[in-house]
Amino acid sequence: MIYTLPALFATIGSILCFIGFRKKERTVSVFTSLLSLISSIFILFSKNYSSSYFYVDNLSKIFSLMIAIVYFGVVIFSIEYISNIKERFIKVYQYFMLLNIFVAAMFFSVILNNLGLIWVGIEATTFSSALLVAVENDFTALEAAWRYIIIVSVGLVISLIATLFLYSACDTLSIFKLLTIKPTGSLFLLGAILLIIGYGTKAGIFPMNTWLADAHGKSPAPVSAIFSAVLLPVSLYPIIRLFQINHNILLSEFAFILGFLSVATASIMSLNQTLYKRLFAYSSIENMGLALIGISLGSYALFGAIVLIFAHAFAKSGIFMLTGNILHNYKSKKIEDINGIIKTMPHTGLFLFFGSLAVTGAPPSAIFFGEFLILSKTIDLYGWLIGSILISFVGCGFLFINYKVINMVFSGQRKKAIKESNFTLVPIINITLSILTFISLPFLYRFLQGVIK
Amino acid sequence: MQHNVFILIGFIEIALSIFMQWQNYVSNNIKTFSIQSWILGIFLMYFGVLNNNISIIILSILTILTRAIFIPRYLINTINKQIFRARENKHKVSVSLSILISVLLAIFSYILYTLVFFEFGKSLISIPITLMLQGAFLIMSRSNAYAQLIGYLVMENSMFLLSFLFNGLPFIVEAGIILDILGIVMIGGILMKIRDEDIQKEEELYG
Repeated sequence: MIYTLPALFATIGSILCFIGFRKKERTVSVFTSLLSLISSIFILFSKNYSSSYFYVDNLSKIFSLMIAIVYFGVVIFSIEYISNIKERFIKVYQYFMLLNIFVAAMFFSVILNNLGLIWVGIEATTFSSALLVAVENDFTALEAAWRYIIIVSVGLVISLIATLFLYSACDTLSIFKLLTIKPTGSLFLLGAILLIIGYGTKAGIFPMNTWLADAHGKSPAPVSAIFSAVLLPVSLYPIIRLFQINHNILLSEFAFILGFLSVATASIMSLNQTLYKRLFAYSSIENMGLALIGISLGSYALFGAIVLIFAHAFAKSGIFMLTGNILHNYKSKKIEDINGIIKTMPHTGLFLFFGSLAVTGAPPSAIFFGEFLILSKTIDLYGWLIGSILISFVGCGFLFINYKVINMVFSGQRKKAIKESNFTLVPIINITLSILTFISLPFLYRFLQGVIK
Repeated sequence: MQHNVFILIGFIEIALSIFMQWQNYVSNNIKTFSIQSWILGIFLMYFGVLNNNISIIILSILTILTRAIFIPRYLINTINKQIFRARENKHKVSVSLSILISVLLAIFSYILYTLVFFEFGKSLISIPITLMLQGAFLIMSRSNAYAQLIGYLVMENSMFLLSFLFNGLPFIVEAGIILDILGIVMIGGILMKIRDEDIQKEEELYG
């Protein structure tokens, strides 16, 4: 079963970190993440597959590839970063063990053929990653981890009820069967609405988005990177499947409203953020809100949502890793304390600026293209008024976030340059990949033709 | 017959969760949760034996082992190591008000049944929904991490009760759910040992 290889490699990495290789946890993790990456590229060229436990189509392949690239980058970046954190809450081998098992759960979640097992996989990501949030070992980090675990678990109970209702309504949880029987009926609809709320909690969708800024703000940089880049999209994955199963108008409107409110909340909240990691956390909420809107609208907006998720994963993971560099050198998380990054750390500064432009949807990034598709479909379906309100919220987010980033990067007196870590190359590559995604759009469109109808 | 047993079980579960609302001592809450899980497990076993269904019997044994025995013991052990957390002196919501709210939640879930679930013909659905809302209220009304975790577990128990009314979930999913709950409790237990409750105005978690 080549489709399970990325997940198996990550699981093996986790086991090896725990037994036998406690002193070589970094090497083991780099090796297994590289193998995961190679196997997920290999899967990209394999045929679609469906059995009683697994359902792998082009969407799953794209998600696997995205997870694998971010996973590899995060593992490499963690090598040095984790050593710089003093008084860690967990030991280094435990950090890599949890990171590997967390990624394995995500890999499994996107290839399973059973909505119940997908729930199990996504819930497994919660408890495997909770301790990663608390690595910095102060009271705020523990509080953030606790809020994360309790809010997300309660949200996932809602999606468990949803799964139960879906099973009652359709007598099956298999995605493959659900796609063929196209279920309808009020119990299915109720289940579907609860499913959107439940998984939306984990994806940072309004109204249960409160955990996200806390967890992203307090986790160490590589953990924030993997959370924002792949954990949130993986939580949207069951919702994409749901809309493939039945694209109901009521359901679509419901998801649209939630997505719209997420974009609105995030763009307004990003105005009064004083800490840069929380600022980018709100940018993630905004992007996930837009992705949910795209998923709810379907057709070319769904393609826009997938492009947005894919490009956002690289850019946002790069940005969060760069915030790790900033925190390490400036020893402050406050935006007001940071200035003149371009002079002190030229690479970090420049790519933070590029990354920030990319995630807020500046042309010609792929995220701009994704947002453009989503917004044009919104105007097409809901008219100019709603479309322009949404555009203005996206515009506000763009202005608020970039204004603060430009202040951090370019303002301030000339200062002495600090030697940047060699590992800064990882976020630079990720942000460049995000920009280059634009070139791969025709290929991506052809690849996803079976998914987008 | 099964109908009547379900009503009885549901009534006891709701009464126990209202009892949890006014408890100051966390260990009492944990014990009450254990009793709740025992009752659920025995009901599940009765149901399995009655229908001669092996997978339900296995599930009931798993439920008793994890929810009724292991999780309460683990939590009691954790709390014994930090006895100052064992009593919650100040409730966010006063005791009398929280009991009143609990009763109102029961009425609310009945109204919810008549408005939303009536067409599915599951007249008993208001029982698990009441229980679920009680669990959610326990999480919201307390700042003590143990009480919040118990609230989450009560929600999970109500989910179990709910699945009786519908087809139930496939065995492999149920087993996965039990594993996940174990994971959440273990990790929650590690975090709770050091978490401080009076940290609500921290600048880094604001906005």
